[in-house]
Amino acid sequence: MVDLCPDDTPELKAWRQEVRDFLHEALPEPWTFWYDYDEDPESWERYLAFWRKVGKKQWNSLTWPADCYGLGRSAIENWILEEEFVNHDTPTYPVIGMQVAGHLLRHGTHQQRLKHLKGIADATVLWGEGFSEPGAGSDLARLTTKAHRDGDEWVINGQKTLGTAAHFCQWMAILARTDPDAPRHAGLSCFLVPLDAPGIEMLPLDNMADGRQNMTYFDDVRVPADSLLGDENQAWTQIWLGMGGERLDNAGPSLGPHTMRIVPLLNRVIRYCQQTTRGGRRLADDPVVRQQLGELMLGVEAIKLQAYELYGIAQSGKPNRFGVASLHMHQAVFKEFWPHLAQVCMEIVGPMAQLQGGKWAQLNGDIEHYFRASFGNHAGGTSQIKRMVWATRGLGLPR
Amino acid sequence: MGIDLQLSEEQELIGSTANEFFGKNCPPELVREYETSAADYPAQLWSQMAELGWLGMPFPERHGGLGLATLDMVPLYVELGRHLVPCPVLEAAALAGGLIGALGSEEQQKALLPGIARAEALVVWALMEPEGGYGPDAVQLKAQRNGSEFRLDGTKVLVACASSASHLLCAARTAAGDNGEGVSLFLVETQAPGTTVERMPNIAGQPLYAVTFDNASVPADALVGDLDSAWPTLYETMMKAAVLQSAMVVGAGERVLEMTTDYAKEREQFGQAIGKYQAVQYLCTDIAMHLHRTRLLTLQAAWRIDSGRGFLREAALAKAAASRAAAAMTFAAHEVHAGVAFVIDYDLQLYTRRAKHWEYNLGDLRYHLDRACAESGL
Repeated sequence: MVDLCPDDTPELKAWRQEVRDFLHEALPEPWTFWYDYDEDPESWERYLAFWRKVGKKQWNSLTWPADCYGLGRSAIENWILEEEFVNHDTPTYPVIGMQVAGHLLRHGTHQQRLKHLKGIADATVLWGEGFSEPGAGSDLARLTTKAHRDGDEWVINGQKTLGTAAHFCQWMAILARTDPDAPRHAGLSCFLVPLDAPGIEMLPLDNMADGRQNMTYFDDVRVPADSLLGDENQAWTQIWLGMGGERLDNAGPSLGPHTMRIVPLLNRVIRYCQQTTRGGRRLADDPVVRQQLGELMLGVEAIKLQAYELYGIAQSGKPNRFGVASLHMHQAVFKEFWPHLAQVCMEIVGPMAQLQGGKWAQLNGDIEHYFRASFGNHAGGTSQIKRMVWATRGLGLPR
Repeated sequence: MGIDLQLSEEQELIGSTANEFFGKNCPPELVREYETSAADYPAQLWSQMAELGWLGMPFPERHGGLGLATLDMVPLYVELGRHLVPCPVLEAAALAGGLIGALGSEEQQKALLPGIARAEALVVWALMEPEGGYGPDAVQLKAQRNGSEFRLDGTKVLVACASSASHLLCAARTAAGDNGEGVSLFLVETQAPGTTVERMPNIAGQPLYAVTFDNASVPADALVGDLDSAWPTLYETMMKAAVLQSAMVVGAGERVLEMTTDYAKEREQFGQAIGKYQAVQYLCTDIAMHLHRTRLLTLQAAWRIDSGRGFLREAALAKAAASRAAAAMTFAAHEVHAGVAFVIDYDLQLYTRRAKHWEYNLGDLRYHLDRACAESGL
């Protein structure tokens, strides 16, 4: 039954208020910070301090089981929390850590959960991702990093690329080929690797949006046998597809605060249009700008509703008409909307939007920064790949 | 409860019942026939729908209706769109019914609603004028009080089924005013002296008419609601109906997507199904994207109406999405079908031409994007 009111009881309304009160106290001034596109050490310190504060309340692990550093709270409470964080323009938790937590909750051993979840929950241990390689991007199954068993250890050799903010991280989840003779999707495994292990070298790949990604080299890196996450040779299904089609299980559905950065961003631009005069009238009264704002509101609203729909699917177990491809559709739509949003915001703000700071910059130069960042929309898979999966698995077109 | 965007089983049942019924009783041949027929709509199908209770769905039970909510009607309207049902359900039930229900006196409701529900009388609204605007400023047709009657002078356009309707609900200007003040609503007999009804040939083969009033006199009791203050209700009723119009676009889109993916799977060129080409897959997912977001926005708006929340912003976003989808989905479908769908015997063009009418009906893309801003406080 259609329902779009998450807080339909007094308890849930009180919970929303509790989250709101916390945010007003913890981040009283508006602060737009995108950790993946920012290297400023002071901002990072402030950012991590904030998330450790959230971690102290165990809100990063709100829905996890109590024996895994969680509070065992409901999915809807987490949803309300995420809505409030999004509406407050809270800098988002590093996205890889939460993905690793999901993988651990689904496929990890009890020991692995005990070992790793606490650091993710209290934001003291940061995780990077080691999936993409120079020769394996969209066609991830081509990856050539290898791991072989040697006694009680795994020995890893290869190279990973585009590790967003990995130099801030202590651990990395990587995909490596463990069965060179199996069909290419069937011989991959996932490993949890400490980044201070001997044989690891990391070199910077600075990107055009002020972020640093990384090239990580593995030269005879030895990790203990229990570093394997999930089953040997099953990483394609358990870990990779798990991020695309079936993310929706015991880690709980997520509004996707990282995706929902579009909400506070558009709200800032709308306020800007209400407060800014050009040619003797408010931007908000310019009919062209109104058309553009209406278009952007439509895009943001639809993406929000797709997230709500995924929540409903996760709770009811009934798929929408695109079945396992529904999350791919959601991602494709977002990945295409994001650069569009950035471009149209640049158009609305106008020539002064080029400025990167200083007293003449509009909106603190954030739109210019956001525009550059929008070329990072390939992270996690390009929209072309998402569309292909959607077309073949969701619409039944031939592969 | 909480968050869900799926219809209930009862609501799904309304949809599957209607799908089956129209599948049997409203084939594409009937749709084609009524593009050029002298009659506005197939009378038999119309009365069958009345018997099923579909015309009085939103009316209160005391006036012969079923008292159902918007979300209960959405699945019916999805099927009206899927099957291109050539009957004025939206006009009679949602628009006329909605206006009479909201503004009409108890006597007017009693006199009109049961007849509409039973398909014995057809009442349609008449809002637009030749200038082509949707807002209150576009209402320029004059109604001047003259003793115990009003005199109407002006022209209404794109009026559905005016030649078979017994009455029009005609929006008229009774005073100058900003922000919708000075607009009144009149219940006018279509056969009244001084009234001319002309058919307007159009892209969709819809029974649309221009109705010209040449100093036509209507009695004072033809006024529906209070003098000078009909606009807010006209607007709200239009916005509610726009949500149902969006549901029709969703239904049509589902059929268009199905036709297009079926064709892409079957049609072979260069030794393989064209659906294997990514350019074609892009076009197919474009249809799915527009379809899906229109569906979600429509459900959200319907839910807000039913739960008594403010709904105008969400209705505007839904119809904006539907207007864009109507154009974009049929465009992409033609790109995939190419030559075969340019042939008049192929059914896709039936959707394409109606999609254009629906794109404009009850507010086009530009109007609703602007309303979305206005309803967001801009």
